[in-house]
Amino acid sequence: MINAGLFNEKSLPVSTLLICIFLSILLIFSSENEKVQSFRVYTADKFSFLYQPFNWIDNQFFLMKRIEVLASENLKLNLENQILFSNELENKRLREFLDFKAKRDHNFIGSDVISKGTSSNLNAFLINQGSNSGVKKNDPVLSSKGVIGKIIAVSDDHSSVQLISDGNFRLSVKIMPSESEGIMRWKNNQICEIFEVKKTAEVNIGDIVLTSDISSYFPPNLPVGEVVSIYNKLDSFNKIVRLELYTDLSTINQLFIIIDENRE
Amino acid sequence: MRLFIQYFCLAVTLQLVFSELLTINGFQPNIILLFVILSQMSQPNTPKAVITGFLVGLICDLILFTGTYLGLSSLIFSICAFIASRIRFNFVFRTFDLYWITTLLIGIVVYCLFRYDFLFFSNFFLFLKNVISISLYSIFVSFILVKLFSLKRIILSA
Repeated sequence: MINAGLFNEKSLPVSTLLICIFLSILLIFSSENEKVQSFRVYTADKFSFLYQPFNWIDNQFFLMKRIEVLASENLKLNLENQILFSNELENKRLREFLDFKAKRDHNFIGSDVISKGTSSNLNAFLINQGSNSGVKKNDPVLSSKGVIGKIIAVSDDHSSVQLISDGNFRLSVKIMPSESEGIMRWKNNQICEIFEVKKTAEVNIGDIVLTSDISSYFPPNLPVGEVVSIYNKLDSFNKIVRLELYTDLSTINQLFIIIDENRE
Repeated sequence: MRLFIQYFCLAVTLQLVFSELLTINGFQPNIILLFVILSQMSQPNTPKAVITGFLVGLICDLILFTGTYLGLSSLIFSICAFIASRIRFNFVFRTFDLYWITTLLIGIVVYCLFRYDFLFFSNFFLFLKNVISISLYSIFVSFILVKLFSLKRIILSA
């Protein structure tokens, strides 16, 4: 009786549409499922050859420009390095003097972006490093300038990176030098907002934003961005701090993953 | 069927070109959505059109890397294929451009509702700005493609 009502000639198109909508919504809500994510990265892994010609063209187009930018950055970093070297010696001496625990260095592995996704406004990247290189789920991902996201799914040779620009991405950050902490969320382009910052916290435009000490996956003090504006919320004890990311997410081709061998 | 596969391969190639090389400020046109709309306009069997849209969406979500949601393309393509296949032939002949543009816009709005769901509630103006940016870029590129490949003639003669 029900079958006859649903699948007669007149209602068949609408019934088919409703079934397809139902299946699609079921898939959307199962996107967070680990098995579904692994399967997606596995299929993307198998078809990653589709992107190779475009990546090659992209690299050729921008190679000269990139060399120019890297050369000037290299010079700037060399100068900064000299200052930092003398500061490091002083810092080491003072830490020893105060009997502080030695800081742990991060293990980085470099990776190329295979695909930036075929949908508007980037929210995930596919990269060419996977579990064979020691990449694990939730590993932090950085560009040469700062944090850009974290690993959300891993296959043998490829991984999927959830970018800061994904609506569901949250990052615990602190604003220096006041060390006020808050939760960061993407807004648009290179702009993000930090919530839960106390109204009494002393925050100024130009302050640096780093990852906080309480993040579960991100090591502390990784650069994120710079404060560009501050808003006081009338109906709350908190204010909203707006920051500009150091990294332009649309121009990334190479990135780095922080490998934590101790984390399961 | 041969024509369908040929144009599907062309749409996938163009989508990859736009996603890898011609993304403007993070926005890119949805060429495969345009392909689904135009290919299903000449399909008189609506259930077949909806299933085709669903399968093309699923293939795109799995083979092409579309981001974090699996099933979003299937949802959009099924709805747009349904609308496209319900069109009357005489109507298509007179208002071809208006029809595919309207269907494309419906698809983009559904896409944005999922992609920018957090903006829809917190900053509607920004949500609208994103919808308009994607729509304008998609329509502009699609219009060029429709004219360049004389797609109206191909569809009406199919």
